Amino acid sequence: MNEIATVLGRAGLLTAEQREHWKMSWLSTVDHKRIGILYMVTALFFFVIGGIEAMFMRVQLAVPNNTLVRPDTYNMLFTMHGTTMIFLVAMPVLFGLANYVVPLQIGARDMAFPRLNAFGFWLVPLGGILLHFSFMAGGGPAVGWFAYAPLNETPYSSQLGVDYWALALLVLGIGSVSASINFIVTVLTQRAPHMTLRRLPLFSWMIFINSFLVILALPVLNAALVMLLIDRRLDTHFFLQPGGSAIMWQNIFWAFGHPEVYIVAIPAFGILSEVIPVFSRKPIFGYEFVAGSTVAIAFLSLLVWAHHMFTVGLGHAVDLFFVASSLLIAIPTGVKVLAWSATMVGGRIRLNTAMLFCVAALVQFLVAGLTGISHAVAALDWQTKNSYYLVAHFHFVFVGLIVFAILGALHYWLPKMSGRMLSERLGKWTFWLMLIGFNLTFVIQHFLGLAGMPRRIYTYPDLPGWGWMNMVSTIGAFFMAAAALLFVWNLAASLLHGKLAGDNPWNAWTLEWAATSPPPHENFHELPPIRSRRPLWDDANPDRPDPIVGTKWKAETTSPEKNKTAVTAFIISESGFFGVLILAYLFYNATPQPGPGAHNLNLLKTGIFSLCLFASSFTIWRSEASLRKGRHRATACWLAATILLGGIFIIGQGLEYRGLFQSGVVISSNQFATTFFTLTGFHGLHVCVGLIALLIVLGLALTGDFKQGHSTALKSVGLYWHFVDAVWVLVFSAVYLLPHLR
Amino acid sequence: MTTAQFILSGWTWNPLVLLSGACGLAIYLAAFRDRRHLGWFVAALAVLLLTLLSPLNTLADGYLFSAHMAQHILLLLIVPALLLLSLPRTTSLAVGPRVFTHPFFGWLAGVGAMWFWHAPSLCNAAVASRSVHALQTVSLLVLGGLFWRQILAPREEECLSPPRAIFYLFSACVACSVLGIIITFSPVTVCSIYTMPPHDHLGLMQTIRAGWGFSPERDQQIGGLLMWVPMCLIYLTAILAQMARWFAQPTSPAAENI
Repeated sequence: MNEIATVLGRAGLLTAEQREHWKMSWLSTVDHKRIGILYMVTALFFFVIGGIEAMFMRVQLAVPNNTLVRPDTYNMLFTMHGTTMIFLVAMPVLFGLANYVVPLQIGARDMAFPRLNAFGFWLVPLGGILLHFSFMAGGGPAVGWFAYAPLNETPYSSQLGVDYWALALLVLGIGSVSASINFIVTVLTQRAPHMTLRRLPLFSWMIFINSFLVILALPVLNAALVMLLIDRRLDTHFFLQPGGSAIMWQNIFWAFGHPEVYIVAIPAFGILSEVIPVFSRKPIFGYEFVAGSTVAIAFLSLLVWAHHMFTVGLGHAVDLFFVASSLLIAIPTGVKVLAWSATMVGGRIRLNTAMLFCVAALVQFLVAGLTGISHAVAALDWQTKNSYYLVAHFHFVFVGLIVFAILGALHYWLPKMSGRMLSERLGKWTFWLMLIGFNLTFVIQHFLGLAGMPRRIYTYPDLPGWGWMNMVSTIGAFFMAAAALLFVWNLAASLLHGKLAGDNPWNAWTLEWAATSPPPHENFHELPPIRSRRPLWDDANPDRPDPIVGTKWKAETTSPEKNKTAVTAFIISESGFFGVLILAYLFYNATPQPGPGAHNLNLLKTGIFSLCLFASSFTIWRSEASLRKGRHRATACWLAATILLGGIFIIGQGLEYRGLFQSGVVISSNQFATTFFTLTGFHGLHVCVGLIALLIVLGLALTGDFKQGHSTALKSVGLYWHFVDAVWVLVFSAVYLLPHLR
Repeated sequence: MTTAQFILSGWTWNPLVLLSGACGLAIYLAAFRDRRHLGWFVAALAVLLLTLLSPLNTLADGYLFSAHMAQHILLLLIVPALLLLSLPRTTSLAVGPRVFTHPFFGWLAGVGAMWFWHAPSLCNAAVASRSVHALQTVSLLVLGGLFWRQILAPREEECLSPPRAIFYLFSACVACSVLGIIITFSPVTVCSIYTMPPHDHLGLMQTIRAGWGFSPERDQQIGGLLMWVPMCLIYLTAILAQMARWFAQPTSPAAENI
C-alpha cells in the first residue's frame, strides 16, 4: 500500500523505519479507510474555517449599523463561507464517509481504483489551498457562491479572487467526478458474492445513485468555469456584453447548482435510512420505495433548475412548467419522510446521540421541504427571493438536514473507525446545544426575511424588530459553535481513552459491523452468508431470518468489467461537459454576426482531416478484433495506424488554427471565434489525451503485456477513442455542416 | 371564432384515420383470443383518435407549434407504448433482422424521430404538405414502437433488464431534453411556418394571439418546454415502472441462487 514510500525507499530517499513512519504511511495511503478519514479530517479543518467566517458574519449582523467588518470584507466572507461549506466541507465529508463505509457495506476489500481514490482526495486540499490563496493574491472572491455574471467578470471583479475561485472549483469538481466514477465502479464490480444490487444497504445504494448525479452535474459546472476563465483571461464575452449572455451563466450554473443540493442531500438520506432502522430495531419500512424514490429525486433534480431563476424574467410559460416540475419533487421526498417515520412507528426506539441527530434531521428536513415548496411557487418566490427567508430555507437543508445527518453518521460510524465509543453524555450535550443553537439561529431568519431583510447586506438600519431578531440569530450561532467545539472534544477524548467498541456496538445488520473495529487492512477475513438486506440479522437470528431477496437478472450476479465501466462513467461525465460547450456554440451562433464566421472555415480541408479521425475509429476496432484473435503484431499495427490517423487530425486542426490566426481571427474576435476555439480546442485537447493513452497502450502491446491476457486497457482506451470521434461528429455537424444547411 | 366555438367545431373527421382505427380494432379482435389487454388497445385507439381528430390537430395544422409538439409526443411516446401494452404476453416481437432488435437501434429510433422531425425545413414541410404530414404521423408511430419495444415487449425475455432499461430511458430523456432546451432558449424560430399562418381559414388567430396570449415566441417556448419537462416525466414514469418491475420480482427461495 505504500507505493510512494516504497519508491522513495528504493531511490534511497527513505530508510526502512522512515517508510513505516506514520506520516508517510498516511500521506501515501491508498487504503479506502484511511482516505475516508483523510477526507473527513480535511473537511473538519475547512469546517472550522467556514465556521469562523460564519461567526464573523453573525457578529457583524448582531446589532444594526455595525462597523466590525467592511462591506467588501463581508462580501468575501459570505462568498468564502458558502463555497467552503459546500465544496470543502459537505462534499468531502460525505465522500469520506462513503469512502469508508461503502466498500465495507458491500463486502469489498477496497475501492475499485485505490490510486484514483487517493488522487480524488488530494485534489481537495489542493482546491482548498487554491481558493484561500486568493487572499494572498490581492483579495478573495466577493461574488457569492454562485458568482453571477457579469459581477464575476473582469470589469466588475478585476482582482484575482474570482480566477482562484474558478480554478479551485474546477480542481474540486474533477476530484468529485473521479471519486464518483470510483464509487460507481466499486458498487458495480467489487460487491461480495451474493451482495446483489437489490440487497444493497440503502446508504450504499444512495451513494451509487448520487454518484451518477455527480458525474452528470459537476462537468456542467466545469464547463461554466472554463468559459468564465476564458472570459477573464482571454478577453472573450461568454457572459459579458456585448454579445454574451449573463442569463447563460445562471442557466449553466443552476443546471449544476440544483442537482448539487441533492448531491449533498442524498447521502444524508442514506444516513437516515441506515441509522433510523437500527435504533428503531426494525427493518426500514418500504425499502423499495426509499430506493426507488431516490432515483426519482435524482432524475427530477436534473430537470428543475429554472426554479432558481423565477425572478430573472424567463417568462410566464417557463415559470409555469418549472413550478409544476419543482412541486413534483415533494412526492418522492415525501415518500422518504413517510418511510422513515413509519420505520419508527411501533419500533423499540433507542434515543442515543446518533438517533437523536437523525430524528432532528428528519423533522428539520420536513420544515426545509415545506419552505422549499413555498419557493417552488413562482409568485411566492418573487416575494421571498434574496431575503433571509431563502437563507433560512437553505440552511434548514444544509444544516438542519445535512449537518445533523452527518453528525448522526459520525456518532454511528466513528466507533467502527476508531474502535472506541464516543461519550454518550457529551454527545447528548452536543446534540441539545446544536438543536437549540440551530433553531435559534435559523427559525427566526424566516421571519426576518418575511419582514423584508435582504440577504448579502453587511449591515442594516435599526428597523422595528430587525435588531433583536438578528441578535437572537447571533446568539444561536454561538450555541452551534459551542456544540462544534464539544464534538471535537468528545472526539479527542474518545480517541484517547474511549470505551472499547467491539465489532458491533449497536447490534446493527449491515456488513461493516461484521468486520473488527477498526477493520483490518483487507477489511474481512470471512463474510457471513448474504441472502437478504440484513445479513447480520440473519446470522444472529437463524430461526427467523429476513425473507430472502432473490435474483433474477444476470446483471445482478455478474459484474461488468472494471476498466470498461470506469471509462463508460467517464464518458458520461465528458458528455455533460461537451454538451454544454456545444449548446453554447449553437446559442451564440444562432444568428449571424459581424466579423469572422463559418465562412472563414474550409469545409473540404477539415472534412478530409475529419475522415482521418473517423477512420481511426475503424482501425482501433480492428486492433481490438486482432487482439481477440490473439494476433499481437496486427494489434500493434492497427494501433499504430490509429495513432497516425489521430495525429494527422491534430496536425490538420493545428494548420486550420494557424490559418485563422494569420487572417486575424483570434479567440476574442467575436462570439463565433470564442465558441469555435473553445469547442474545437477542448475537443483537440481530448484527442491529444487520447493519443497519449493510445501511445501507452501501444507501449504495453509492444512489451508483450497483452500476451499475458491484460487486454482491458485496449478495450477501455478504445471506448474513449470512439467517444472522442463521436463528439467530433457532433462538433463537425454543428460547426461546419450546419451553416451550409441554412 | 371564440374558444368555445372552436372546441365545438375544431374537429376534423378525417375518414382515413377513422377507417384505420376501425380496421385496427377489427384486426386486434380477430388476431388475439386473449382479451385481457383489450383495455390498453382501446386506450391507445382513443388517444390516437383524439390526437388526430380533435381540435389539437386543427391547432397543430399551421396555428400553434406547441400543439404540434403535444401531438408529436402523444404519437411517439404514448400511443406506441399503449399498443405494446395491449399485446398478449405471449406475443413475440423478435422478428426482422437482428439489428432491429438491438437496444441502440431502438434508442436511435426514439431519439432520432425527435431530432429528425424538428429540423426546421422538415418541420415546415410537415405542416405545409399533407403527404409529408401523413408520413410523419406514421413514422412517429413506427419509431415510437421500435423505441418502446426494448422496454415494453410482451415477453419478459425480449425486454431489457431493469437497470439497463433505466439507463436506456434516462439517456433518451437527456437526448430529448437537450433538443427541448435548444427550442426553448433558441433566439431563432425553429418552425417558421407557425409564425405566419398561410391560411387562417377558421379566423382563429385573433383568439389565439390576444385571447390565449400565445405570441409566436411564447408558442415556441411552450413547445420546447413540452419536450423538455412533460416528456421527461413520461420517461420518469417508465423508469419508476422499471424500478417496480425490478423490486416486484418474487422473493421465493426457488429463485435463490445460493
